[in-house]
Amino acid sequence: MQCFMCGAEVGNEKVCYNCGADILLYKQIVYTSYVFYNQGLEKAKVRDLTGAIEALKSSLQYYKYNTRARNLLGLCYYQVGDTVRAINEWVLSKNLQEEDNPNADRYLAEIEADPGLLSKLNSTIKKYNQAIEYCKSGSRDLAMIQLKKVISQNPNLVKAHQLLGLLYIQDGKYADARKVLSAAAKIDSNNTTTIRYIHEVKERLKEENTGKRRKKNDVYTFADGNDTVIMNENALRSMLDNTRSSLMNIVLGLVVGLLICFFLIVPTVKDNMSDGNTKTVLALNENLAEARDKNQELQDEIDNLKNSLSAYDETQDIPTSYENLLAAQNYHAAGDDVSASDSIQLVSKDILGSAGKSAYDSLYQQLAPTIIMGYYNDGNTFYSDENYDSAIVNFQTVVDIDERYNNGAALFLLGDCYRLTGETEKALECFNKVVELYPGNQWGRQAKVYIAADDTELSATEVGD
Amino acid sequence: MIDFEEELKKYEPAIEVEQAEADIKARDLTDLTDLLVNISAQQNQSSVEK
Repeated sequence: MQCFMCGAEVGNEKVCYNCGADILLYKQIVYTSYVFYNQGLEKAKVRDLTGAIEALKSSLQYYKYNTRARNLLGLCYYQVGDTVRAINEWVLSKNLQEEDNPNADRYLAEIEADPGLLSKLNSTIKKYNQAIEYCKSGSRDLAMIQLKKVISQNPNLVKAHQLLGLLYIQDGKYADARKVLSAAAKIDSNNTTTIRYIHEVKERLKEENTGKRRKKNDVYTFADGNDTVIMNENALRSMLDNTRSSLMNIVLGLVVGLLICFFLIVPTVKDNMSDGNTKTVLALNENLAEARDKNQELQDEIDNLKNSLSAYDETQDIPTSYENLLAAQNYHAAGDDVSASDSIQLVSKDILGSAGKSAYDSLYQQLAPTIIMGYYNDGNTFYSDENYDSAIVNFQTVVDIDERYNNGAALFLLGDCYRLTGETEKALECFNKVVELYPGNQWGRQAKVYIAADDTELSATEVGD
Repeated sequence: MIDFEEELKKYEPAIEVEQAEADIKARDLTDLTDLLVNISAQQNQSSVEK
């Protein structure tokens, strides 16, 4: 170590043997400076920047060449948004210790690397200063606008936060003030001004809350359309009382109305409805009777018309019958008995005159075998085709004309058709008659078998033809 | 209770960039070691004079 007076090497001596200077005192001063530096560093680490700045300033008052303290002081200034002071400290640090001062070099280099930074900082500072001017001239609104701009550009400028908080407090905007001051407290946690303002805000908010509660009891505000109505408690109470009595009257009116409706209107409506129903039933009965009469009239009319129509048909049928009779006679004369029998079957005997009837009977007798044979053949054809209903019609016609036809074959086949269609009684009747008329021929024997077995469901093939 | 006007007086304009040089120059950088040097120098001078 060198003597601070003469520059002679003193080593660990307490006094300089060259000039007699008090080296121990000098050393104590330098050590004290470092003690303050350490305090400042500790405070900066816990973001007590105001405390750190004070400690570091003290450190430099003891020993101005403590460049570490000076660089840290600049950093603290920079952190609270006081950038020009920060730059000044770093410049001084660099001047006082040109060599081996890497921190100051780095900080200054970073600022130089961003050319727009200084102008931006300067404009922020100017706005802040302008805001102070506005405050002092009473233009608090303008000052607030400027301060908001300043904070948006340099959010670390604690003084701007504090001033804006102060303006909010002055305007009674305590919630806004608390918000701004909380932001300031986050940057510099132990700033006495910030703490004082926050305390003030808390006090005011507490008062405001109790005041609001009191006000709530006194004054009421509500919206009526586009208007906001403010009423004191008594006026509101009287209004509510009036409203309540009006509501009671409305409810009472509704109840009375319902009672009137229940006791007077409903029975009348019920009576009307029952009367109406009775009338409706009577009217319907009348309508029904009228409809029945009308129906009967129409039915009679239909019967009359049917009679007229049948008479008309008969009159129409007379010439046709004669024509068919003549045709049958002609066919018979020509030897075509089949065509003659077809024609004579189209003749209606009842509408013919006496001469016609005698001619019809004489011709019919001559053609009877052919007619019967035709029916019998048709019946057989239908029987073979298993069209038993049609076969029954044909065999029945044959049997009606001559029940002994073909030695009882027609009668047996009629019975068989009945058997096959499930009409057992009719079948047995036919079979009994066959047995009665021809007990010895094949039809009689077969009929006996059916009757004896009483099993009309047996097929002809099973019994034997 | 905060007095707004009094509080406002505490706010001083921040140093602008243009004023930085002047601020450095105006800074009194005298520290305790400087005082010690002065005192020691005065003491040496008085002892020489005696």
